[in-house]
Amino acid sequence: MNNYQLAWRNLWRNRRRTLITAASVFFAVFFALVMRSFQLGAYERMFRNVIESYTGYLQLQGSDYFDEAILDNGFEIDTVFLEKLATDRNVKTIVPRLESFALAAAGTSTQGVIVMGIDPEKENRVTDMRNRLVRYRLTPKAVEALKNEKIPSLSGDLLDIFINESYTGTGRLMIDLDIDEKDTSAILPVIRRHASFRNEYLSAADTSSLLLGSGLSDFLNAGVGDTIVLMGQGYHGSTAAGKYMIKGIVRLPAPDIDNRIVYLPFSTAQALYGAPDMATSAVILLHSNDDHEVIETAGRLQEMISGPLKVHTWKELNALLVNQLEADNKSGMIMIAILYLVIAFGVFGTVLMMMAERRKEFGMLVSIGMKKGKLAGVVSLEMLFVGLLGVVSGIIASLPVVIYGNVHPIRFTGEMGKMYTDYGFEPVMPTMLPDTYYLWQTVVVLIILSVAIAFSIRKIFSINVISAMRS
Amino acid sequence: MNILKKIIAFVAAGSCMNFSYGQELSATDIVRKADEKFTGEKSGFSVMSMTIIRPAWQRTVEFKSWSLEDDYALTLITAPAREKGQSFLKQKNEMWSWNPSINRLIKLPPSMMSQGWMGSDYTNDDILRESSVVNDYMHITEGEEKVDEHSCWRIRLTAKEDAEVLWDHQIWWIDKKDFIVLKAELYDEDGYLVRSEKASDLKTFEGRLLPSVIELIPVENEGHKTVLKIIEMKFNIGLTVNFFSQQNMKNIR
Repeated sequence: MNNYQLAWRNLWRNRRRTLITAASVFFAVFFALVMRSFQLGAYERMFRNVIESYTGYLQLQGSDYFDEAILDNGFEIDTVFLEKLATDRNVKTIVPRLESFALAAAGTSTQGVIVMGIDPEKENRVTDMRNRLVRYRLTPKAVEALKNEKIPSLSGDLLDIFINESYTGTGRLMIDLDIDEKDTSAILPVIRRHASFRNEYLSAADTSSLLLGSGLSDFLNAGVGDTIVLMGQGYHGSTAAGKYMIKGIVRLPAPDIDNRIVYLPFSTAQALYGAPDMATSAVILLHSNDDHEVIETAGRLQEMISGPLKVHTWKELNALLVNQLEADNKSGMIMIAILYLVIAFGVFGTVLMMMAERRKEFGMLVSIGMKKGKLAGVVSLEMLFVGLLGVVSGIIASLPVVIYGNVHPIRFTGEMGKMYTDYGFEPVMPTMLPDTYYLWQTVVVLIILSVAIAFSIRKIFSINVISAMRS
Repeated sequence: MNILKKIIAFVAAGSCMNFSYGQELSATDIVRKADEKFTGEKSGFSVMSMTIIRPAWQRTVEFKSWSLEDDYALTLITAPAREKGQSFLKQKNEMWSWNPSINRLIKLPPSMMSQGWMGSDYTNDDILRESSVVNDYMHITEGEEKVDEHSCWRIRLTAKEDAEVLWDHQIWWIDKKDFIVLKAELYDEDGYLVRSEKASDLKTFEGRLLPSVIELIPVENEGHKTVLKIIEMKFNIGLTVNFFSQQNMKNIR
């Protein structure tokens, strides 16, 4: 009988002890994975939100613009040069933007806003703007009407929770209202009838219309068709003032931006600010957004640039967020370290107990001629099996939670949700799908195990047969 | 408006030309002579151009301005084309702006007071400020110096402790003959020179000797400068308070 068989049989000789030890490892792995998954998922979501709806992965800017983001530090668009940059193997296309500040007024409300001049079609490729248009809106009136429809699978409580919420598609709406896929086809037409939101995307030819973030639209109390007045300082200190009609309302995932953004067609923004042919930045759309590739591409592009222009990566563009999340990440790691410390003592405790319980057994085995080396090998294998059992079951158990959490993220509503939004975060906590962090958790557990194994091996080699037999 | 206030102060100084030199003047008297009599001028009209100079660019704004005493002023931008038709109204310590392209009348909020007027180095606050160089400062004659061949008194104006003024002290060079402020240096509370102003190219407008070019240099910003040129000037044109109305801001040409 070889060591593996011996170890395996030994495990099930005392089922309860094995299961307790495995359970302690299982919980360690399970909780660490779920916790980490939520944390990393939230970070990823935040970055994705701000990158994909605002900054992009790479940006070209006037060299002074990064330090002082004002229109006067913008650059003149040189189409030939931009095309040359776009020949880089990782660059899909380059989309110029004109970004500045203004006061936006509608009726009696005024708010400081970010004005972004975009090429409607090209921008669509960067931020998927067309699909960010609000399609459904649960206005109090719509909620009332939907409740009156008395559809059994449409919960009135959920409607109340998500009142005044805007949706860019049916997917999110169905999830929020907890509607089964089989009911979707029946309920959708009803929702369309009551909660549809008429909305239009910009076209490059528009000279007097704009898109508004949904948060800003709420604040200004202005909807599609209303007039917005923008006022600010233009290029070289000139006056920038214009009157525009709201053509559409977009919902951006980052509340910080959603609450303050106005999109104008590129040439309209240039006219507003008196800055013909100027841009403040250009988003560089990449084939691969992989961290490493992004940095390499930035380096290659910077080498091609001779004028006062600079390429910035998303990490530089969102330095504040990066720092914030890094600090948060550190605190998360401390939490996990504490979790593991507790778990390590748990595992160690059970091992210690096991060694004490089996002292007589070990003494007997050695006395009838079993080599201490073989005994140590068998015990190590036993513990490795228990550990792996715990790790594997922990991973398996965490998978449904993690995957479910990714598809149906935890959504904070009411006070809690508002608190998140006020901090500028989306009130959503998704999980991150299994990634390298799964591997790391496993490695940590194995390290804890190996310490326990080392301890038991030492114990076996130092066993005194006589006293062990007598115990 | 501050600019206008100064111009009118210069106007006032013009009427000092027949001032008798029979007696020794105190520093306060000199400042008063340079400042005081503009209140005697009822109303004025001027056409000016303002060139804003920055290290990388410059641009020129032209405007017409009507004023009544120190309390009312109406300014209409006439160039460049994209800003033509904008008007500003000063009523006592309020300032309103009218912009034809958005059809809106806006009362400038306190937050905009420290911003440059039309992108220049003159802040809206400069235009509205209601302090008196005579009553809010103590005056000491520090000597006599020449500015562009004009012999001037060099006078130090130190803010009184309880005065609500922007500057800690100012140094003025006032022409001895015409009582024109030819140069001024303005210092903040830490004693740093923040701004210097210079008047030159004396010309006669309607029989009054006035500087036709005024430069404002914000000392902290290298290469920044605002140059104001007076193209035309009229006095006592018989305006009343009614002229300075929000309605007129929209109609004036």
